Amino acid sequence: MEKARISASQLFVLIVLFQLSNSFLLSLGINGKQDAWLIILIAMAISMVLFFVYYALYQYHPGILPTEYIEELIGKLLGRTLAFLYILYFITIASRVLRDIGETLVTFAYPETPLFVMNALMIFVVVYTVYKGIENIARTGELLVVIMFLLILSIFLLVVLTGLIDTSNLQPVLENPSTVMKTVFTETLYVPFGEIIIFTMIFSYLTQPKKVIKAGVLAISVTGVILAITMALNISVLGVMLTSRSYFPMLTTIQSIEVGEFLERLDVFFILVLVIGGFFKVTVYTYGAVIGTASLFKFKEPSKLAYPLGIVILILSMIIASSYAEHIQEGLKVFPLYVHIPFQVIIPVSLLLIAFVKNRKK
Amino acid sequence: MSYRKFLKKMNRKEQSQDLEKDDPKSIDTSLTENLNIIKEKTGNSPDIIIRIISFGHDPKVRTAIIYADGLVDNPTINEYLVESMENNVQEKLHGKDPFTILSEKVVALGSVKTAKDWDSLFQSLLSGDTVILMDGKNEALIGSTKGGERRSIEQPDSEVSIRGSKEGFTESIATNISLVRRIINNPNLWVEPMNLGKQTKTDVSIMYINGIADNDTVEEVRHRLRRVNLDSILDSGYIEQVIEDESIGLFPTIIHTERPDAAAGNLLEGRIAIFVNGSPNALIVPAVMIQFFQTPEDYYMRFPISTFIRQLRVLMYLISLIGPALYVAITTYHQEMIPTGLLIIIASQTDSVPFPAIVEALIMEVTFEILREAGLRMPNKISSTISIVGALVIGQGAIQAGIVSPAMVIVVSVTAIASLATPSYDIAISARLIRFAFMLSAAIAGFYGIILGLIMLTVHLVSLRSFGVPYISPLAPFEPGNIKDTILRAPLWALNERPKFLSAKNRVRQGKNQRPQVPMSQGMVRADTKEGDKNEF
Repeated sequence: MEKARISASQLFVLIVLFQLSNSFLLSLGINGKQDAWLIILIAMAISMVLFFVYYALYQYHPGILPTEYIEELIGKLLGRTLAFLYILYFITIASRVLRDIGETLVTFAYPETPLFVMNALMIFVVVYTVYKGIENIARTGELLVVIMFLLILSIFLLVVLTGLIDTSNLQPVLENPSTVMKTVFTETLYVPFGEIIIFTMIFSYLTQPKKVIKAGVLAISVTGVILAITMALNISVLGVMLTSRSYFPMLTTIQSIEVGEFLERLDVFFILVLVIGGFFKVTVYTYGAVIGTASLFKFKEPSKLAYPLGIVILILSMIIASSYAEHIQEGLKVFPLYVHIPFQVIIPVSLLLIAFVKNRKK
Repeated sequence: MSYRKFLKKMNRKEQSQDLEKDDPKSIDTSLTENLNIIKEKTGNSPDIIIRIISFGHDPKVRTAIIYADGLVDNPTINEYLVESMENNVQEKLHGKDPFTILSEKVVALGSVKTAKDWDSLFQSLLSGDTVILMDGKNEALIGSTKGGERRSIEQPDSEVSIRGSKEGFTESIATNISLVRRIINNPNLWVEPMNLGKQTKTDVSIMYINGIADNDTVEEVRHRLRRVNLDSILDSGYIEQVIEDESIGLFPTIIHTERPDAAAGNLLEGRIAIFVNGSPNALIVPAVMIQFFQTPEDYYMRFPISTFIRQLRVLMYLISLIGPALYVAITTYHQEMIPTGLLIIIASQTDSVPFPAIVEALIMEVTFEILREAGLRMPNKISSTISIVGALVIGQGAIQAGIVSPAMVIVVSVTAIASLATPSYDIAISARLIRFAFMLSAAIAGFYGIILGLIMLTVHLVSLRSFGVPYISPLAPFEPGNIKDTILRAPLWALNERPKFLSAKNRVRQGKNQRPQVPMSQGMVRADTKEGDKNEF
């Protein structure tokens, strides 16, 4: 752990930026067709339960990192193995997000630039940021969240004001309840909402630990509502078919904005949201991995670890999938079931049960 | 121990013994001996003037007046010292201490003190005071006679004001301190003198308002100044470079001003001013970045205009940072974002240009930097040549020769003007270098490169500190109470609190009812309002 302090409002900002990031651009819960926005809202509500689980675990061990309290809960060998697995999990997700951003950029704006260059540029900035520590990450977030909100607000306003919306695309509501619930529990709950587990690594820096729950719930609600509006807008502008077929429905929506002869092709909005959001997600994951590794292996200077872990994430982002299609398939089929569910739900819930039992004995 | 080391050690020993022999610490009783020491130590310099006067009567005492020519105020010495001593020649001295009489009755100067050691004697003598030595006394009388030729108070060149005081600091530290005192008539305005620089022994003063400035920050400033061990201090820039938090980066973490009203405003917010003799710039710490986009006049004007101008300045700074980079990015990677009509014009222009946009931009930017530097150091008479060469030969000629496109020239010019519009030279100059980095990143990855560059710049800026205060306060970390005086400028009657990050204890600045109370008759007045309600006429 580094010697640093962040405020509850900074935690709020970090969670908002982290969750908006690339999820703002993807088609979340599109399996539920026109009910995607509903899926997001339900997932948001359920994810708050997960957040309470993470917070309760932290309550039992205030002031220390999860990688440390796992050891206290389930013994040295098992605990350290599990902590190490969590670090690997963070590194993997960081490299997946990095790959996402790189692939998106190469696909739509830089067809001739190698993917590696795109990822390397991003990881360079990420390593620099992680090296500066959590206080500076949080302050950067405070500045960038304003830009992010302004961008999202102007996109919403432009879409609504240029009359692109066709609300009939959103009907009928709740056509197929079982699909809705299935999508919630197989996809949307874990990405983006369950990813909030990384913030267990940051809780212990808070100046007012009691405000964690308030900041967290508020941040999850804000992002949930924004993401739900986004999907509703995408579907109402593009229709279910086009939304489900395109990789980045938000890009298609932005490109259909046309004000006069002047405001058209606002792709730069898309790049801004993509890069700022993606940067934050990769940074927070990398930070979690760095600080976790440092505490697990008793490193005296955690910031130095940013360089090697940055290179690991960069290389992993290149070899994690052989093509973009494979990358997407992994994200939809393999990761939620075999990676996200254990790491985001099963392990934390069982740890909480163990903590509960142990504390009752006392 | 090797022979050489041994020799060295012996040498050092001898040297130090020599020094001790030649360097008597305290003043001798014999006047002749003392004068010899002064002459020897100053190398018989002709500007050290020694005048011997016999003082008193029965017995007579030989007295010497010593001063440095040019550093003292000559009429003062003649009128109040020499004349006064000669007039009092008849004073009977027997039984009384002539030295006491001299200091109490004869020397008619404002401030008189005594010195016993040579160090403080020379310090005073060389800073313009007059030293009076008396035969048979191992003490010196030091009268304050500082004066001499100095630049008078003029309007500052670098911070021009339209409204507000036209006074600027001068090279004299006493004048500068008095200029601030004239604005803040408050005994809590404290000044702490110091002497820095091994050879130059420059006067340095810390100024702050006791009770407003944070004690820890004042102590930190003192501490940092005390450890200054430079050979010479020729300007406040010397001090700035050894006490700032970040000495390698491009951004200034100490603000300096030539205007007393700016210094006073900062002192009243809880900042600390450092004056250095010989420099017309007062250093002000702690500085936050947003200050470099503010001028004292922002507070004198109507607030919506000030707010607009402040935001314009930040925009200008951004343009001067990424202007050429945006052009390079758009023309190289993102042509589809330009409206078709404009794209055709730009394409037809760049068609004949043999270089890619980045090379074009680099050529023009480097040329501009050369022109700018040449213009800055040029005597006024030749500067018209520079503008002709710059405007005609490079501007017009380069386009006609087809080396650069007209659009590029426009972009570079706008950037240049934008960088000149930033009120603080210190912050504008940082953009000059960073601009090249942005141009390169735009050439590598277009908008993506620029955005990453901006993020990196943000991370760098938020990690900076100035005397413990985060550089981007109050925006990050966010202080909702202090947001009123940043890129916004709330009305004066709403600026009720001092910045929290500067003065945590004493935060109330003014009464809460400072909003003008206008007569109700300006709006709709209810019929049953009694006369006298709310200033009703």
